[in-house]
Amino acid sequence: MRALSSLLLLVALPVALSVKTQDFKTCSQASFCRRGRALASRAQENVSSWKSPYSVDADSLAISSDQALFTARVKSSLYPDIKFGLDVRVHDDGVVRVRLDEIDGLRKRYDEAASWALVAEPKISQDIKWTVGKNEVRATHGKKKDVEVIVAFEPLKVTLLRGGKEQVVLNGRGLLHMEHFRTKLAAQPSDIPEEALDAEDAQTVLSANNPRSWFEGDSEDGYWDEQWLSWTDSKPKGPESLSLDITFPNHGHVYGIPQHATSLSLRTTTGESPYYTDPYRLYNADTFEYLADSTMSLYGSIPLMHAHSADSTVAVFNAVGSETWIDIAHPTPKSTETQWISESGILDVFIIPGPTPEAVFEQYARLTGAQALPADWSLGYHQCRWNYVNSDDVRQVQAKFDEEDIPVDVFWLDIEYAEEHKYFIWDKKNFPDPLDMVNDVSANARKMVVIIDPHLKRTSSYPVYQEAVDNGVLVKTKDGNEYEGWCWSGSSAWVDFFNPTSWDWWKGLFKTYPIEGKFTWVDSTEDVHIWNDMNEPAIFNGPEISMPRDNIHHGGWEHRDVHNINGMLFSNLTSQAVMARSDPPKRPFVLTRSFYAGSQRFGAMWTGDNLGSWEHMAVGIKMVLANSLSGFAFSGSDVGGFFGNPEPEMLVRWYQVGAFSPFFRAHAHIDTKRREPYLLDEPYKSIVKDILRLRYSMLPIWYTTFREASVRGIPVVRPHYVVIPHDEKGFAIDDQFWVGGSGLLVKPVTEKGVTETTVYLPAEDQVYYDYFTHQAYRSAPKGKNITVPAALHQVPLFIRGGSILPTRERPRRSSPLMKKDPFTLRVALDKSGNARGELYLDDGVTYNHREGQIVWREFKASKAGKGIKLSSHDLVRAKPTDAVDGVALASYNPTNDFAKSIAGVRVEKVVVLGLEKKPTSVKVAGGKEVTFEFIPGVAASGKKEGVSSVLIIKDPAIPEMHLYSCFRMPFGFVLVLASDPF
Amino acid sequence: MVPWVLLLLPLSAFSAVDKTHGVPPSLLASYVPTKDGSQEIWTCIDGSKVIPWSAVNDDYCDCPDGSDEPGTGACPNTRFYCRNEGHIGAFIPSSRVRDGLCEPACCDGSDEEPGVCPNKCKEIGEAYRVKQAAERKLRKTGSKIRSSYIAFAQKEKKRIEGEIASLENEIVSREKEVARLKDIADHAESLSATALEQKKQSPLYQSLLAHHRALKSLQCEHKKHLEREKSLGDILDRLRTGYNPNYQDMAVLEAVRGWEFHAGLPHINDVKKDDEPSTEDESETGKDEEEELEPGMWTPQQLEHQLDELLDQDYESLLLEHDKHVGATEHSDSLLYNLSAYVPEPLLPQFEAFQNALVSWLELLGIVKPSKSDAADDSRAKKAYNDADHSLKLTRDELTKAKEDLSRLFDSNWYGKDGEWKKLDGTCLEKDTGDYTYEVCLFDEARQKPNKGGSTFSLGRFAHWNNGPGVEVGSPEYYSKQFYIHGTKCWNGPQRSVVLELECGTENALHTIAELEKCEYKITGTTPALCLPPDEPEKPREEL
Repeated sequence: MRALSSLLLLVALPVALSVKTQDFKTCSQASFCRRGRALASRAQENVSSWKSPYSVDADSLAISSDQALFTARVKSSLYPDIKFGLDVRVHDDGVVRVRLDEIDGLRKRYDEAASWALVAEPKISQDIKWTVGKNEVRATHGKKKDVEVIVAFEPLKVTLLRGGKEQVVLNGRGLLHMEHFRTKLAAQPSDIPEEALDAEDAQTVLSANNPRSWFEGDSEDGYWDEQWLSWTDSKPKGPESLSLDITFPNHGHVYGIPQHATSLSLRTTTGESPYYTDPYRLYNADTFEYLADSTMSLYGSIPLMHAHSADSTVAVFNAVGSETWIDIAHPTPKSTETQWISESGILDVFIIPGPTPEAVFEQYARLTGAQALPADWSLGYHQCRWNYVNSDDVRQVQAKFDEEDIPVDVFWLDIEYAEEHKYFIWDKKNFPDPLDMVNDVSANARKMVVIIDPHLKRTSSYPVYQEAVDNGVLVKTKDGNEYEGWCWSGSSAWVDFFNPTSWDWWKGLFKTYPIEGKFTWVDSTEDVHIWNDMNEPAIFNGPEISMPRDNIHHGGWEHRDVHNINGMLFSNLTSQAVMARSDPPKRPFVLTRSFYAGSQRFGAMWTGDNLGSWEHMAVGIKMVLANSLSGFAFSGSDVGGFFGNPEPEMLVRWYQVGAFSPFFRAHAHIDTKRREPYLLDEPYKSIVKDILRLRYSMLPIWYTTFREASVRGIPVVRPHYVVIPHDEKGFAIDDQFWVGGSGLLVKPVTEKGVTETTVYLPAEDQVYYDYFTHQAYRSAPKGKNITVPAALHQVPLFIRGGSILPTRERPRRSSPLMKKDPFTLRVALDKSGNARGELYLDDGVTYNHREGQIVWREFKASKAGKGIKLSSHDLVRAKPTDAVDGVALASYNPTNDFAKSIAGVRVEKVVVLGLEKKPTSVKVAGGKEVTFEFIPGVAASGKKEGVSSVLIIKDPAIPEMHLYSCFRMPFGFVLVLASDPF
Repeated sequence: MVPWVLLLLPLSAFSAVDKTHGVPPSLLASYVPTKDGSQEIWTCIDGSKVIPWSAVNDDYCDCPDGSDEPGTGACPNTRFYCRNEGHIGAFIPSSRVRDGLCEPACCDGSDEEPGVCPNKCKEIGEAYRVKQAAERKLRKTGSKIRSSYIAFAQKEKKRIEGEIASLENEIVSREKEVARLKDIADHAESLSATALEQKKQSPLYQSLLAHHRALKSLQCEHKKHLEREKSLGDILDRLRTGYNPNYQDMAVLEAVRGWEFHAGLPHINDVKKDDEPSTEDESETGKDEEEELEPGMWTPQQLEHQLDELLDQDYESLLLEHDKHVGATEHSDSLLYNLSAYVPEPLLPQFEAFQNALVSWLELLGIVKPSKSDAADDSRAKKAYNDADHSLKLTRDELTKAKEDLSRLFDSNWYGKDGEWKKLDGTCLEKDTGDYTYEVCLFDEARQKPNKGGSTFSLGRFAHWNNGPGVEVGSPEYYSKQFYIHGTKCWNGPQRSVVLELECGTENALHTIAELEKCEYKITGTTPALCLPPDEPEKPREEL
């Protein structure tokens, strides 16, 4: 009854917060979460006598003939007649998959979540041998055979050990509980509407001497139909929730489980004086004007949690699609306990063994896929607003950017382009000439992104809706009728993308040419890409602004079973549609607001409708980092804040944040003043222009980083713990981060009135160069805080010693127009005079890279004799299986067509930071001397701080940036360029 | 090395660019080498650096001012000049040089490497000249109309000057009349003042005054409430019709339902969009049930229409008339007092003057007693005076207005120094966009009128021309924009406003309407008032 009374309290009190918190449930307002937490507190109260009722029936244990997996019966002492099946398998990279399901139950639990998340059926390890003992079954694996999985029989407990140390423990605290399907007893008091009951009657009080009450409690709390504000969830299947405790006994930091507006290192929600009172919630929701520090659920859910310590990194991926709450506690600073409470579905947990952050990313990417390699132009700047009101408005915005010579790649159209919000259908009053408009944008090598939402206006004159009706692919109510809800388009229906019939139909809609007898988007071109919004789904008149949980999807599954997966299918299908509309296919760009594990395979995400406040700017960085850790690397938050009118200072700072986000878009609500960069007064306008140009100059770095993300799953922006895993001081840092493996460290300022800021240099003996001033700072083996200038025009940006950065420094209108531009190499020497960097290039739009149409070079500076040799190597040849996403290159020709197409592209300038003294000469291979300029300064090798020495080599005259050549810079100070045989 | 690599070597990097490529004619003289011993050198335009002549246009930026790369785009933030022979020379930003796109501004294709962009200057130059000719023609026609506007302004000047003269005359005569009537009124007043003062002490009168004040205050309050109720009703109406059942906001829903109940409207979601008006009409009839009134109480209609009349009563007159009704009339008024009733109307003022003078003499001599009805005469005289004074004021206002009109006529901040905009003062232009018709009455007000019923919103009143930074008052750019501000406030938003962007055209017309930000409209249109006579013959600059 606690729920009902607090609910009444909420209704009675006018709440004046920005977010309508009362529109969203707290744990105590969701019966299954209440039950899960109550279970945990009972266990806590009886900690000495507590023992999980679940045990493995050792006699039923069956190991498959190839040793790959074993299955066994699991029993619950509470319900001896109910049968559960356990399935444990080890993948060939050491990931342990644990599944538990009710067998021969009254109904079937939802067991398809993993099938949507996984990129393919994982390969099972071939060199595992299970050893069955009296009390447990165990297996070791790993190269050093130092990883061990132990499944204890009574009670059931799964432990992953490395080097004898416990890494991950399932059901170690005995909170595993799979509520079996049961029949509703007739004449339960809960048949009476809840509000008619007083507190005590709301729950069915079980008989006092119920033998299960020690575990399940003594009441049936919200087992059957459940009331929430004005909605009733009929819950025809009754209770079916799942509770599981996952413990990391030797890890003091956990990360991930996006999406929440919260710090990167997750805070406690339970245990002693927790930071938050409610568990982290995963239930995709359109949380209007969300709070900047909360465990409330937001638009997307990835049930992946990393656990990190100085010597070990592991993770768990809990493949569940229903609403899930996660409690976190640190019983000691070096350990973490979690409890996962889900509304429905089977137990399907992947234990990801690590042992390093990078290994975890690779293992997770093998499960759910890596970030799709984006079209290169989509890494440029995106200009959005709700709304550019007509086609001339779009043209004028473009003209203004060009007048001010500010780069931009993409113009966006929000919902008002569509007549009555019937997506695909242009409002011809304001957009009479959509194709001409798009072509005018394309003429400057730019693109457009146009919104397509999942709600279809219910009117037979709307062909997309009518075809959906005809194909029978709309979501149904619990009674089997077409579900109707309210959204932008008024009375609307939703496509059920779980229904395979919808797939080809949806893909067909995006064809840009007419097809007899069906709707195709002839009023668009291949330069129109797509934005998928409102796919949580957001439904204005639905419970928690979403879909009733008892709605029915394909296969008879309830919406509650698939809610968190729902948004992913929409954007994934759209992405495939955009890919398939051209022949040969081109890389699609699809931005999604809602997402799930696996969404990264198909596009980009953003953090939804943020507020124009400093807090939201700051938390946006943390949210992007959390997403990056969870596989979805192509992420960003709206520059400027969706709501509100940011002052110029805030807008400038936000552009500095955006310029270092993988996805970089400015967006604004319809009620806001226009704030395109050209509208700013000086000095703000020039500052923003410089930031945008900085982003564009660094696009080669971003793209190279995305290559790595797309192959190995390593994030594009990386928090400290990922880059320096042993540095404990960096584990909770989430306001500065690294751009891929480039060696760029950035700390965007997210506070008002700042002129200087503190930057943490990690625990290593290394030199860090200010990107702009070349000021050299020294880190220390224990880490060090430095104070650096950070006036409005300055973004604290550093190059870690030992890095080589390829940039393109010529400002252009849009990124495709930079393709023929020369490169500049920044060589930031480390203490011992070495450095390395990478550059990846392909055509940026097609899939020809999968056929080896690429250039992937490594640049290396190293001491050679009395000089420094700067050389370039072909990385494709060195690592053909690791070069591109999706396929291992069978054949590779260094003089492939793409490489030939950029043969005219050269390195125009080499900047070397941290040389000891002026070179006597700089030579390219073959002995030709080239012009250079040397500005004396601090050397990398010393201990001094101050402006570093700078060597600028003019035009080393390597005609092809490459490819077949390398630089050498022998000491005595010569830079020799020599031919690299191939 | 593979042979094809060698083949590619001569491309871009080594392809020499002419040293004066991208240099405008005015700077050609600066792009010549000087000798330094055997070496040819060159000094950056800003004098900051000396570089080898070979470094000019070598696709590498050497000079801090970027002057060494006029033709390659290697130096950011510089300009590239294309000669466009056969057309007009043009500058483009360095960011567009060799970016793979043929710049429309560089019809000779010189912005890209040779062979990439065709030279289209002949046809583009031709088309440009045709377009120029058409524009000139348009401006010529437009400027003729504009001349007629200027002529109109001259006529207006004469007219207003005439008006001013006649108004000034009128004022002189009216002033005399007012002075005369004032004398009479003052005189009458002095006669009745004492009696009146005495009567004013009557408790009845005092109570009446108190009632009057109370009623007046009440009426004032009532009006405020009515206005408040009206604007609240408007807000709620707009909420009701405009709200998205967004986010299941119970507060909004309750407000809408509450208002519907209160105002007797059907629930908006039950109303079919198509037959909305009729449904609403039906619902509105019979919603105001007549309340039962106590006998003698005023109906709302009476309150609305007759209360003002009641409050406008001249209580002093009433007070003076009062005596007639309370039986104080022991003797009938002497003929002398009432003689005026027999005097022909035209003679009345003279007669009254005479009568007043006579009576006062007689009274003074004690021959006649002061008449009880003298007060009525007094108030009549006062009224005559007030009326005349009011007319005088109106005439003076007219004069002020006329003088203002005259001063604005050739004021650059108003109708232009030639008065070319005067013709359009109050001219209303309309544009139907389907849902709404937009109307701009120039120099007055802009409005949005819904085509399918509903209330018209003011989008603002004329405030000023384009007074943006750097815009010279009276320049064509100055007259290219009109600002209309302080229109009806958007609920939950700013007051509506309009920027009217005008350009030369032979017709006064509105072309496009766009709400670029919420409640801020951009309207474009044409007017001949902006058509300056074309300079003959037009000479394009830097034409080669």
